[in-house]
Amino acid sequence: MDREEYSFIGRSIPRVDARSKVTGEASYTADLKLPRMLVGKILRSPYPHAKIINIDTSKACALRGVHAVVTGKDTAGEKWGVFRYTRDQQLLCVDKVRYVGDEVAAVAAVDEDTALEALRLIQVEYEELPAVFDCRSAIAPDAPLIHDDYQRNINVAVKIDVGDVDSAFKNSALVREDTFVAEEDSYFMTEPYAVVANSGSDGSIEVWMPNASPHTKAKALSNALKLPLSKVNVRKITIGGAFGGRSDVFPAEFITCLLSIKSQRPVKVIYTREENSIATRMGHAMITTIKTGVDKDGVVLGRDIVSWLDGGAYSSTGPIATSVPFLCHEQTYRMDNVRFHGYRICTNKPVRGMIRIHGRSFACGIDTQLDMIAQELGIDPVTIRLKNARRAGETTPTGSYVSSCGLIECVEKSAEATNFLAKFKNASPERGIGMGMNSVQTGFPLGIRGGSQAFIKFHEDGGATVISGVVDNGQGNDNMLVQIAAEELGLPPDDIRLISADTEVTPTDAGSYSMISTFGGGNAVKSAAADAKAQLFEVASELLEADPEDLIAKNRKIFVRGAPDAGISIARVVRKALILGRPIMGKGSFSPQVDQRREWISNPKGQLSQAFSFGATVAEVEVDTETGQVKALEVTCAQDCGFALNPIVVEGQFEGGVAMGGQGGMLGEEHRWHNGHVLNPSMLEYKIPIIKDMPEIKPIIVETIDPAGPYGAKEAGMSVAMSAAQAYCNAVGSALGIYFNHYPLTPERILDAIENKKTGIVTAWEFEPATKIEVETSPKGSK
Amino acid sequence: MKKQLLSMNVNDETIEVAVEASASLLEVLRDELGYIGVKEGCSEGACGACTVLMDGRPVRSCLTLALEAEGSSITTIEGLASGGQLHPIQQAFVDRGAVQCGFCTPGMILSAKALLDHNPNPSDEEIKDALAGNFCRCTGYAKILDAVCSLRPASSSKPGR
Repeated sequence: MDREEYSFIGRSIPRVDARSKVTGEASYTADLKLPRMLVGKILRSPYPHAKIINIDTSKACALRGVHAVVTGKDTAGEKWGVFRYTRDQQLLCVDKVRYVGDEVAAVAAVDEDTALEALRLIQVEYEELPAVFDCRSAIAPDAPLIHDDYQRNINVAVKIDVGDVDSAFKNSALVREDTFVAEEDSYFMTEPYAVVANSGSDGSIEVWMPNASPHTKAKALSNALKLPLSKVNVRKITIGGAFGGRSDVFPAEFITCLLSIKSQRPVKVIYTREENSIATRMGHAMITTIKTGVDKDGVVLGRDIVSWLDGGAYSSTGPIATSVPFLCHEQTYRMDNVRFHGYRICTNKPVRGMIRIHGRSFACGIDTQLDMIAQELGIDPVTIRLKNARRAGETTPTGSYVSSCGLIECVEKSAEATNFLAKFKNASPERGIGMGMNSVQTGFPLGIRGGSQAFIKFHEDGGATVISGVVDNGQGNDNMLVQIAAEELGLPPDDIRLISADTEVTPTDAGSYSMISTFGGGNAVKSAAADAKAQLFEVASELLEADPEDLIAKNRKIFVRGAPDAGISIARVVRKALILGRPIMGKGSFSPQVDQRREWISNPKGQLSQAFSFGATVAEVEVDTETGQVKALEVTCAQDCGFALNPIVVEGQFEGGVAMGGQGGMLGEEHRWHNGHVLNPSMLEYKIPIIKDMPEIKPIIVETIDPAGPYGAKEAGMSVAMSAAQAYCNAVGSALGIYFNHYPLTPERILDAIENKKTGIVTAWEFEPATKIEVETSPKGSK
Repeated sequence: MKKQLLSMNVNDETIEVAVEASASLLEVLRDELGYIGVKEGCSEGACGACTVLMDGRPVRSCLTLALEAEGSSITTIEGLASGGQLHPIQQAFVDRGAVQCGFCTPGMILSAKALLDHNPNPSDEEIKDALAGNFCRCTGYAKILDAVCSLRPASSSKPGR
C-alpha cells in the first residue's frame, strides 16, 4: 500500500499525549497523592564495601510519626537478578554492602522531616572491607572478592568465535591492534525516580513507578514479596524518560511495597537527584581492545575483540550488557571471521545497566580504527565503510538473517548531503568532519515475555478502546498504538481511547526496551484491529449486501471499495452487532520470530532479533585548540527505521539521539570518582547538553519497509544516538589529525592529546590492552 | 514550626495559605495547592523543570522561598490555557512535536512565555538564551526551537535568524 493511501500512518500528526503534557495535567509518580499516604526514605551504605555487623532500629521505631521500619530481616535475603543465574542483588542488604548507596534500611513516616530524622536514628555497625574501583584492580589475583562465587570478580564472560580469525590475520595485508577506553555515563532522565505503593486489606498491592515494563516489574515483585501475581498491580503512570535506565527492577519498589504492607498505608518514595544517579543504574565504564585484519582494499577479513566492562556491584542486565556492543557491531559490519571475549567485572561502585549509547568504547573504537586503517591504505572513510557495510539478505556471524537493511543508503545519503569527501580532505580545527555507523536490534529472545498481545473493544458511538501492555517512557508509544489502531479501523485518533501498561487490565508485553515496542506491540495492536475490522465487516456486509472482502473502513464509515458515499457509519455497525449478540471484540498478538534457544552466554547463536535498524551520522565540528572546546556546527543523521509511522516523532528521536549520544555522550558526559563515591551525581555537576550547545541537525529518514514490521517499521530511537557518538569522535579526530581513544572528549583530554601529539597513524594515548582472562566460574547461562 | 500566612495571586486567583518559613515556593504550589504541573527535577536550581512566572519573570520555584512570593502574581503551567483553548505556545509545542516525555515541558513553556511576552520577535540566539536554563533530555531541543520560532511574525517563523 502506498503512503498516500494511508489516513494517519506515515503522517506527522501531533501525539495523543501532548495536550495533557503542555497543560501540566499529566500525572507522574511523584504527583500522586493518596489518603493517609506516608513518606518513605531509604538508608544507604556510606561504605563501598563492608560487612553489616548489626542494625539497631529501636530508636527509629520509637520516634513519633514513624509507621514502619524495614531492614534485610524483613526480606529473608530475597535477591533480584534479570536471569535465574544472575540473582545476586539483595533487595535490602543482609550481610554485606557492596557500593556507596547500597540499600540497608528504610522507614515510612508521616512527613519527610520525620522520615529523615528516623533514618538518622538507625544505628548500623559496619566492618569495612577492602574495596576495588576499576576492572584491572578487581581482577588482580589478590583482589578482595565482592561476591564469593565470582572468581576474580568476573561476573559474566561471553565468548563468541566464528570462522578462523587467526588464519584471516595471516592472510591480511594490514593488521592493527588498538585499545579504547570510555568512562561511565548516566541517563539523567528529567524525572527523578519515584515509587508509590498502596497495599490493600485483601493482600493485594498497587504500585506506580517509572518503568520500561510493568509486567516484568509485577512478576519480580510477586516473587520477592511472595504474593501471587494476581495480587500485584503495576499501574499506568506518565513517565519522564528512560533511555535504558528504567528497564531493571530496583530495590526501591520492593522496599516501598514492604513499607506499605507493614504500615497498611500508602507510601511514596521520591528519589533525590543524587539517588537517581547512584541507586538506579548508570552506564558501564569500558576498555576494549580491537585487532582488525584487512585486505589491501580495506575489506575486513577478521577481527578479534576483547572488552572489559566495569559492571559495578551487581549483575543487573550483565549478560545482555556484555554482549550487545558486539552484536550491534556484527550487524553493522560484514565479517566472516570474528572473535569476541567480553567480561563484565564487578567493582565496588553503583550498578551499571544498558544505556542508549551502551558501549561507547566499543563502537567508537571500531569506527576510529576503521578511519586509521583507511588512512594507512589511502582509502577515504566513506569508501571503507561502504566496502564493509551490511546488506539486506545477509546473515550475521552469529546467525541472524537480516531481512531489511538500508545501511548503504544511510552512508551514501549522509555523505552526499554533507559533501563529506571534500570536507574530509580539507579538514582543519575550524572544520572537522567524521562519520559513524551502527545497527540496533528490535528486541531479542525473551521467552514468554517476548510477545505482545492487544484487545480492542467498541463503544456504542463507534469509538474504540485499545488495550495493550506496551508502556510509554516518553518516546511516544501511546501515540504509536493509537495511530496504528486508527489507521486499521478507519477512525480518527480522537475516537480511540487507550488503556495501556496496567498489569491488572492489560495483556503481557515484552517491555519498552531493546527497541521492540513498535515492532512487537505495534504489530499486536495492528492484528487486534484487523480482527475487530473483520468482525465489523461481517456485520456490515449483511447491511450493505456486499462481500466482506470488498469493504473498506475509513472516516468512521464502512463502504464498498470505490463507493465511499454509499457507506454506513461504524457506530451503526457496532450497534447492529450488539443487537445481533455479536459484539465487536478484537484480539491480536505478535511474537517475533527469533531463535528461543539463543542464550547470551551458553548459546550465543541463532536469530537474535527479527529485524534490525541501521544508521549513519556525519558530524561537523570546530575545535578551539587553545581551550580544547568543541563546537558542533552541523549534524546530519540518516537512519533506516523501516518506515516512519510518524515522521515528526521519528525526527524527534533522531535529534534527541544526537544530543544524548553525540553532543553529551562524546563531548562531556562522564562520572568522576573518589574511592567509590560519585563526585558529580547532580545536574549541576554532570553536564548534559543545553539548547545553546546544540548544532543544527538534519535528519534523513531512510525507509526499507521491513517485511515483518508494522507497515514496515522497525525502530527509531537508538541507531542515531550510537552513530552520533562515533561521528562526533571522528569529527574531532579529523579536525586535529588525532585518533582519540579515551572518551568522552573533554577539553582536558583534547588539550592533552594536542600537547602530546604523536607522529604516524597511532591512537592519542597508549593504554594497556584488555586481555583474555582464564576463568572457570562465571555464570554459565541457563538452558 | 510556626506557620505564617502567605497571600499571593496564583493563575488569577487570590490565595491565602499558611506556610512554614522554610518552605519553598515549589513545595507550596505542588503540595499545598495541588499545582502538579510545577515539576521537581533536581531541587538545586539546575534543571528548570520547576520554573514558574513571578510577576512575569521566570523563577526557579525550588530555590524561591514561598514567603518571597508575598503579594506577587504567580503563573504556573495550569494558568495558561483558558476556556479549553490552549495558549499559542502550548499549541505550538503540540503541533511541532516539541513534547516527548513532557517532564521539562511546563518549565520550558513558561520560560518561552516570559521571553515572548517581553520580546515578540526574538532572534534564534535570544530564544536559546531564554531557554538555556531548562534541561530537556529527550528532544535535542530542535523541535522546541522550532515551536518557539513558529510564534514569531510570519516572515521569520523558522529557525535561522
